[in-house]
Amino acid sequence: MEMTPEVMLQVKNINVYYDKLGVLWDISLDVNKGEIVAIVGSNGAGKSTLLKSISGVLHPKEGSILFGDQDITNMDPYKIVGLGISQVPEGRQLFPDMTVYENLHIGSYNKNARLHAEENLAKVYKLFPILEERKKQLAKTLSGGQQQMVAVGRGLMANPKLMIIDEMSLGLSPLIVSELFHVLHEIKTQGITILLVEQNVCQTLDEADRAYVLETGHIVMSGNANELMDEEEVINAYFGE
Amino acid sequence: MELLNDLISPIVLGTLLGGLYVVVALGLSLVFGVLKVINVAHGTLVIFGSYVAYAVASAWGIDPILWLLIGIPLFFFLGVLIEKYLLARAVSKSADAALIIAFGIALIIQNAAQIFWSPQSRSLLTDYSFNSFQVGDIYIPLVYILNFFAALIVMLVVRQFLKKTYMGQAITAASQNKGTAELMGINSKQVYQIAFGIAMAMAAIAGVFYGLTFPFNPVSGNALLIIAFGVVILGGLGSMAGTFIGGIIFGLSQTLGGYFFGPTGQLLVPFLMVLVVLTIRPQGLFGR
Repeated sequence: MEMTPEVMLQVKNINVYYDKLGVLWDISLDVNKGEIVAIVGSNGAGKSTLLKSISGVLHPKEGSILFGDQDITNMDPYKIVGLGISQVPEGRQLFPDMTVYENLHIGSYNKNARLHAEENLAKVYKLFPILEERKKQLAKTLSGGQQQMVAVGRGLMANPKLMIIDEMSLGLSPLIVSELFHVLHEIKTQGITILLVEQNVCQTLDEADRAYVLETGHIVMSGNANELMDEEEVINAYFGE
Repeated sequence: MELLNDLISPIVLGTLLGGLYVVVALGLSLVFGVLKVINVAHGTLVIFGSYVAYAVASAWGIDPILWLLIGIPLFFFLGVLIEKYLLARAVSKSADAALIIAFGIALIIQNAAQIFWSPQSRSLLTDYSFNSFQVGDIYIPLVYILNFFAALIVMLVVRQFLKKTYMGQAITAASQNKGTAELMGINSKQVYQIAFGIAMAMAAIAGVFYGLTFPFNPVSGNALLIIAFGVVILGGLGSMAGTFIGGIIFGLSQTLGGYFFGPTGQLLVPFLMVLVVLTIRPQGLFGR
């Protein structure tokens, strides 16, 4: 018998609307402490909407979202960050005219993270030595891969228990993507739980422990990432690869 | 040689006067950068600062510059309240609605000022109002020097605040990407209030130094707003160094314009400069 895993994030039967347009229906998912969980799905499947609901940018019309035993369903984004959920947004979204250091530093804005800002910065520089070399450079002058490193590092600066990473591999070379995945495993060993959202199905399933497949606003498959890999035919049917 | 000698005075005075415009323009630029609202009340808020200092000086004989010790926190707090209760709801809906609210604030202040202080011009007169320094052949009024140092201090303090504090960095981040700033744990509503509070505190400072330098009346703020626009356009939005240079250029072209073309040149020349910059470099000298 395995030990019962400690549930970190629990999404329970949420329905999410943009005004009157329904985008997510009856979505439920769990993320356990110490896992790398992936949400995969094609463009427009509702992945970003799901993330926005978790981070508090959107609020579900029905259902609830629990972080530990705290109900975060209708909480403002900035409060959710303070509880220990940080997000690495799609497309990096750095502050272009701030330096690398300033981008990382602002990640530690929440009160809890400020206490650990120095040690977390040291960790980030250890994971990505190039960022220390470029700390005085403006973020907009970095290459795409380096920008993604800043985005991941900035997420770590929030001192998270759970880190949500949206489309990390988008627009990056395979070499950089595997380097970043390598870092994610390192982050995992430091005790941070990771929720990945990706279009890049094969590599993501390779790296994740468990995964959910999202299609037109519904979860159509879920389970052990390796097992889902074996269902590749089914996946092919969904993603037309 | 004779011309050069004659030019020294307008050049020195213009540069020093530019400092005053820098302080006025910084507040406008900050609110636009963070809230994305053109605060058309800013000039009138500055003049409101002049009137409050005037009222305090007439009632209790408190020196206007000394008054700033209370005036700065008071105006900051007032700015937070104005943002929280008047602007916030509009800002989240549309910039147009916020613009109209700002316009309303300006009208209310202008009319209230007419009721309380009449349409006649007032000045902040102090013991040192007519003091001046003689440097070589030219006389520099003390208030012009005070203007310039006030501008330097305001710039330095604001710059350090924006660069070195969490709240300052949050303001900078929110002005570059509001949505992502919230994902960093930044409460954007709070950031908006504080940014507007700082702009109001700058209006208090600018108001005192404007009142020490020029006579003011209830509608002086309108002309001041246009000048602040000119400065911001010259320097480029969102650049503090740009605002500084823009203010100096504006002050210089005003005094030099006055020297070469008489009183009509005083505003004509600076706005011609604005026009030229807009044509050649629409983003401003230091704009992105």
